[in-house]
Amino acid sequence: MMRDLHDHLKTRYRLGDLAERRGNLAFVDVERADLRALLVELRDVHGFTHLSLLTAVDWIEEGRFQLTYLMNNRAANRTLGLRVFLDRADPVGDTIHDLWPTAATYQRELREMFGIAFPGSPRVDEEFILEGWTDMPPYRRDFDTLAYSQQTFSDREGRETHDPRSHMAKKLYPEGQR
Amino acid sequence: MGSLRDVLSPFTAWKHVIETPVTIRNPIGREAADGYRGFHQNDIEKCIGCGSCEVICQNAAIDMVPVSDPVDGDSGLRPKIDYGRCCWCALCVDVCMTGSLTMSNEYTWVDTDPDAFRFIPGVDPKPWDDLEKGYRREGGRVLTGAERVEMGELAPEARIDNFDEIVAGYTREQAMIEADRCVECGLCVATCPAHMDIPDYIAAIREGDYDLGLQILYETNPFSEVCGRVCTHKCETACAARHEGDPIAIRWLKRHIVDNVSEDRRLEIVGTPQTLPTRRKVAIVGAGPAGLTAAYDLARQGHAVTVYEAQDKPGGMMRFGIPEYRLPYAALDRDIAVIAAQGVKIETGVRIGHEITMDRLRAENDAVVLSIGLHIGRSTRIPGTEGGGVETAIDLLRRITAGEEVPVPKQVLVIGGGNVAMDIARSMARLQKVKHGAVGVTVTALEDFAHFLADREEIEESLEEGVEIIDARGPQEVVRFKSGNRKGEVKGLRSWAVTSIFDDKGRFAPQYDQGDERLHPAEMVVEAIGQAADVSILGEDLTEALDWNRGRLAVDVAGRTSEPWLWAAGDAVHGPDVITAVADGHRVAASVGAMLMAMGEVAR
Ligand SMILES: Cc1cc2nc3c(=O)[nH]c(=O)nc-3n(C[C@H](O)[C@H](O)[C@H](O)COP(=O)(O)OP(=O)(O)OC[C@H]3O[C@@H](n4cnc5c(N)ncnc54)[C@H](O)[C@@H]3O)c2cc1C
Ligand code: SF4
Ligand code: SF4
Ligand code: SF4
Repeated sequence: MMRDLHDHLKTRYRLGDLAERRGNLAFVDVERADLRALLVELRDVHGFTHLSLLTAVDWIEEGRFQLTYLMNNRAANRTLGLRVFLDRADPVGDTIHDLWPTAATYQRELREMFGIAFPGSPRVDEEFILEGWTDMPPYRRDFDTLAYSQQTFSDREGRETHDPRSHMAKKLYPEGQR
Repeated sequence: MGSLRDVLSPFTAWKHVIETPVTIRNPIGREAADGYRGFHQNDIEKCIGCGSCEVICQNAAIDMVPVSDPVDGDSGLRPKIDYGRCCWCALCVDVCMTGSLTMSNEYTWVDTDPDAFRFIPGVDPKPWDDLEKGYRREGGRVLTGAERVEMGELAPEARIDNFDEIVAGYTREQAMIEADRCVECGLCVATCPAHMDIPDYIAAIREGDYDLGLQILYETNPFSEVCGRVCTHKCETACAARHEGDPIAIRWLKRHIVDNVSEDRRLEIVGTPQTLPTRRKVAIVGAGPAGLTAAYDLARQGHAVTVYEAQDKPGGMMRFGIPEYRLPYAALDRDIAVIAAQGVKIETGVRIGHEITMDRLRAENDAVVLSIGLHIGRSTRIPGTEGGGVETAIDLLRRITAGEEVPVPKQVLVIGGGNVAMDIARSMARLQKVKHGAVGVTVTALEDFAHFLADREEIEESLEEGVEIIDARGPQEVVRFKSGNRKGEVKGLRSWAVTSIFDDKGRFAPQYDQGDERLHPAEMVVEAIGQAADVSILGEDLTEALDWNRGRLAVDVAGRTSEPWLWAAGDAVHGPDVITAVADGHRVAASVGAMLMAMGEVAR
């Protein structure tokens, strides 16, 4: 079923191979320029009326972000994930809030957490859940969460930790035995 | 001191003061969802104090604090969590390899003392300790790989008619995957007798930095090539990863490093002593791992070291005991070459007590180290053991290594159930295959299979090679032909079934079922039931002067005997394996070195 759909669409869109996760869940890579037309066709012709979610992955080693549009066909109980890749150095996505109003919220989140721009998306530059954030977008993989939390929040006094290996050395083979 | 954010946060919150609150006025008493991530629970008996939870926590919410005494594979530390920092992400639960750490679905708790929110789950009692609901790591989800990368080996048919090395060693890709499973907790370090820096050299593999890896190995073990092949790997029994799957293949990873550094490069990295000669002299008796490790350390301290070795080649049991198919001689030679390059003189073919006396060694040196191992094969002394056709395992193994002719009859019986028994059985099987085209070896052991002494791999590989192993048999008599043209020759071994080995006080006192008697036919019987040290070399006066401990030389923690000039190390005093001998060698060298230093100070 998913395969038939893939074969059908492949003739008109530049699609990657179909990655089937389960009988009713599959993913496919899509060219950014084809995304909008494909979403519209999936929604209006093939019954994928619901945008389940829009999220991103930071492939830092490859220098790109992946956007994943999870499309659901409720009647047929099928989900198709479209994957679009953006240049990590200049990440700009295309807004689809006019196709699904909820997309605006996802795009606002992606703007804040990954620093991906969606020009034209309503309120996209307003704070979403981070208040007064000045650091790098925190879901980028080069964001050092631990360092940030250590700089930002002070420890309670009297905290002390022990490294298992040196603690065991001190207790079990103190001096000269090594 | 508070950070900037601690000071500013209350002000940024003011902008919400006129909005309608979205919080529930009184959340107490409202139960959270079943899988909610609330306050942690820790099964303190299961937790091993590996500290992985602390390392993964991106909020630095966890400290590892001492709760009990460390033992093998358990640091005795337990996580203490600061809920002022915890964001309830559950990464710590997901990474915990023992599965001891979980989260209850309790999330409400009011207290005016901020320090009340720092506690040790499972140790400091809390009302939610026994709650069933909450977040648990899902069954199959494991952050580190649970299975060890399989090692390539020669198939039984390919190895049975030769002494080629069986184990192939990891490729770089395999080693990288295996190294990636290590969480660098360091629990294994205490269990390794030489306390090798295991997580550090595994990290070097991950970095692809083999030079660094080799340097780390040499800091604790000049026999890393040998140990990478034959170490008893006790460290692996303490590895944190065993709680989730297979322990890390620490031994194979060690070997992988040495396999990837050429001999020349090894000599370059290790270098030669960087100190001025001290003009102090040390004599070492026996060129096994204990003696040669001590020699390595002492030479690098600048002392003049001579090792005297009775055999015509150095290495001790590593060469004359362990068969070539487990440890090729070339591998051993490479380890020894680095030691010799430190200026250590190795005089082979010199048996102390014969060519040179202990008295002379004492007179000509500032210190003497005795590392003579255990080279007298023990006998069961059952009737029939006197005479031809009965051998000891270690004597046969030595002769095989030396290239001497050994008897290879079609049917051989080995008495013993330890690794030495397997080594001689498998060596004889190879010789038989070459000479007769078929294997005919039977091993009888006192222990039953559930309590076998030999390693599981050794048993499995022996069986694969066609060796027959019969458990729970007690040897009673080596039966000989009474008449005919083979009169006096070995006919077989008579055995009884074993009903128990130890008495209720734990003493060795085997009991038999005499009704269950068997004759195992064989033309040769090999005894592999243990070895003893040849201390006759000490001479009467010295033997008299020294302190003894149940037949073994008594030594202090530093390996010093009751005579101030004499130290002892290795199998002769401790045992049972190469890595313990290496650790012993280091200990003795440190003690001898300290004494020589003190002598130097006085002389100045
Ligand atoms: C068959 C067999 C298999 C083994 N397999 C393993 C294994 O897989 N892994 C492992 O870790 N351990 C193994 N072991 C144990 C390991 O080999 C020993 O624990 C280790 O070699 C002990 O080191 P050592 O330096 O104390 O003594 P040895 O290695 O025994 O060396 C002592 C040396 O002293 C020499 N010597 C003795 N008397 C004199 C004298 N009077 N003058 C001069 N020289 C003398 C001997 O010739 C010998 O070379 C095995 C042992 C045997 C017998
Ligand atoms: S990760 Fe698990 S086993 Fe390790 S210290 Fe933390 S709670 Fe204990
Ligand atoms: S739940 Fe997350 S923040 Fe809290 S202690 Fe565990 S790892 Fe740290
Ligand atoms: S080898 Fe095992 S015990 Fe040692 S540091 Fe790695 S995971 Fe921890």
